[in-house]
Amino acid sequence: MPANQPETAAPARTGRRGVRTRVRDLVDALEHLVGGFGTALLAFAALLWLTVVALGCLAGLGRLLAPSAPRVVRSIADRERARLSRWGPEIIGPAAPPPTHLRAALGDPDGRREVRWLFVHGTLGLLLSITGVALLVYTVQDITFVLWWRWLPTDEPNTPTVVSWTVQDDSGALVVALIGVALGVLFVVFGPGMVRLQAWPGRRLLAPSGEVDLSLRVAQLSATRAAALDAHATELRRIERSLHDGTQNRLVAVTVLLGASRRALARDPSSADEMLERAQQAAEQALAELRTVVRGILPPVLADRGLAGALAGLAADSGVECEVDVDVPGRCAASVEATTYFVVAEALTNIAKHSRAHHATVTVRRRGQDLSLRIQDDGIGGADEHEGSGITGIRRRVEAHDGRLALTSPPGGPTTLQVELPCGL
Amino acid sequence: MRIVIAEDDPLLREGLALLLRAESLDVVATTENPDSFLEAVDTHAPDVAIVDVRMPPTHTDEGIKAAVEARHRRPDLAVLVLSAYVEQAFATDLLAGGAVRLGYLLKERVGRVEQFLDALHRVAGGGTAIDPEVVAQLLTRTRPDTALERLTARERDVLALMAEGLGNTAIAERLFVTEGAVHKHIRSIFAKLDLAPTDRADRRVTAVLRYLENTQRRP
Repeated sequence: MPANQPETAAPARTGRRGVRTRVRDLVDALEHLVGGFGTALLAFAALLWLTVVALGCLAGLGRLLAPSAPRVVRSIADRERARLSRWGPEIIGPAAPPPTHLRAALGDPDGRREVRWLFVHGTLGLLLSITGVALLVYTVQDITFVLWWRWLPTDEPNTPTVVSWTVQDDSGALVVALIGVALGVLFVVFGPGMVRLQAWPGRRLLAPSGEVDLSLRVAQLSATRAAALDAHATELRRIERSLHDGTQNRLVAVTVLLGASRRALARDPSSADEMLERAQQAAEQALAELRTVVRGILPPVLADRGLAGALAGLAADSGVECEVDVDVPGRCAASVEATTYFVVAEALTNIAKHSRAHHATVTVRRRGQDLSLRIQDDGIGGADEHEGSGITGIRRRVEAHDGRLALTSPPGGPTTLQVELPCGL
Repeated sequence: MRIVIAEDDPLLREGLALLLRAESLDVVATTENPDSFLEAVDTHAPDVAIVDVRMPPTHTDEGIKAAVEARHRRPDLAVLVLSAYVEQAFATDLLAGGAVRLGYLLKERVGRVEQFLDALHRVAGGGTAIDPEVVAQLLTRTRPDTALERLTARERDVLALMAEGLGNTAIAERLFVTEGAVHKHIRSIFAKLDLAPTDRADRRVTAVLRYLENTQRRP
């Protein structure tokens, strides 16, 4: 997944910055070694269990014990996949559950790779973790030895770890401290490498083999594509509905009133004028609704001036003083921008109509995969989604894009409308 | 004639009421959702109900369901369903219980007041009014190998008008021919399609519509 690529540290511009990245790398290394220690211990335990199962099979208990083995291996492998995915490229596990039958498990290529990983990680990986963690513990112990060696019970030989002689005085303890520093340097130099070495079998053996990887990608792409098409269909349905229930109804009303006017003309011409007046009003309403529908599909101003420009235009036309703050790198999908525009337009109309606010702020930010939109006013609050305000329309529109909407409006204000819209990769 | 209107669009609702009242028809209630419509049917005992297909809450087929329910409560109620677009599936749902006192029209037909009033009276009088659009959909979607192919152009015109629910006199007027000629065409059609001949308009509509449905191309 491109989004999950490990961030390569930017080249250090200043010395301090370099030290800071160094320290961060070391803390990361320590964290990964400890985390790796956990899965390595589990892998070691699983190896013991596999041995028990193998012996059990020889003793004729295979039917009883064998089904558990693939499940145990898979659950530990999944744990390692999740751990590695947290700080590197995501590793997707096999989609199929592990086979429960022993023969099928032996024939399963994914399962065989998992067992190979288990052997390496449960032995070599465990050793690396123990070495790394021990190195750090000894570093701390030896460096601080000079501070506390005096209080050690005297009946035992005062020998810190890694040191083969007995410390008698402060100068001896200082030598121990120097050894500690040397151990620390060793950790600084080799720690990150050890972490990579320990993760390597997992990255190689737990990632799906090439062919499988591709089919997983295809499955994932199909799913996201289906979701996109679904959002598209919902959007089309919304347009269809506003055309049928709005514009078309107006036009039908026009024809009905025109038909009635013609009948009235034949009967009593004076009454026809009122009907013609109504017919004209209905036709004007139809035009207004048509404009709204068209603007709702894709506001032309978005293409001309981009999201920031379009929202600034909305703010300028708004009935309340409005501050717009858009900080979005690049452009989002046209439908996402259109929805954002619609939400802001509707929200500002609401504010002008109901809130009695003097000031409103619109903030648009990109947060990871989402476009985050926040509209706040200093009005009287107490906005209720169920009281026929425009919020229902906004919600429908946002949900068509699989987005989220939160409205907080305590009596007395302020009212905040928070909308998150996924903009895809 | 006592009429109840169920239409959620206020402008259209008032327009319809205005038109019908101007024609001295008795609009006893105008309602805006299925529940208040059914309530009005219970309290006012109307002769005819004019129902919009799309009504709250989901704006899909609430009107059809409400019409079916109203007919269930009062079997002698005449129902004229109006729709923004015609869908054969809706017509099939509606006609499942027979075509007597039933109409299904595009909304804009209301503007042709005379024809609309004609359809309204026909439905109220025990007949049927099916939108020409529904019939056209049925006719264009028939399988190419059916007996329909053997009909002459004039016979197809007569068949379409029969399917709309028109009686012999009305068909003759529309096609500018004599009633005798219409009668002859109808006998010929029924013979070619192998249908039992009948002069009762409602049975005729059902028979013709069912025949057309059965000859639809399978998707």
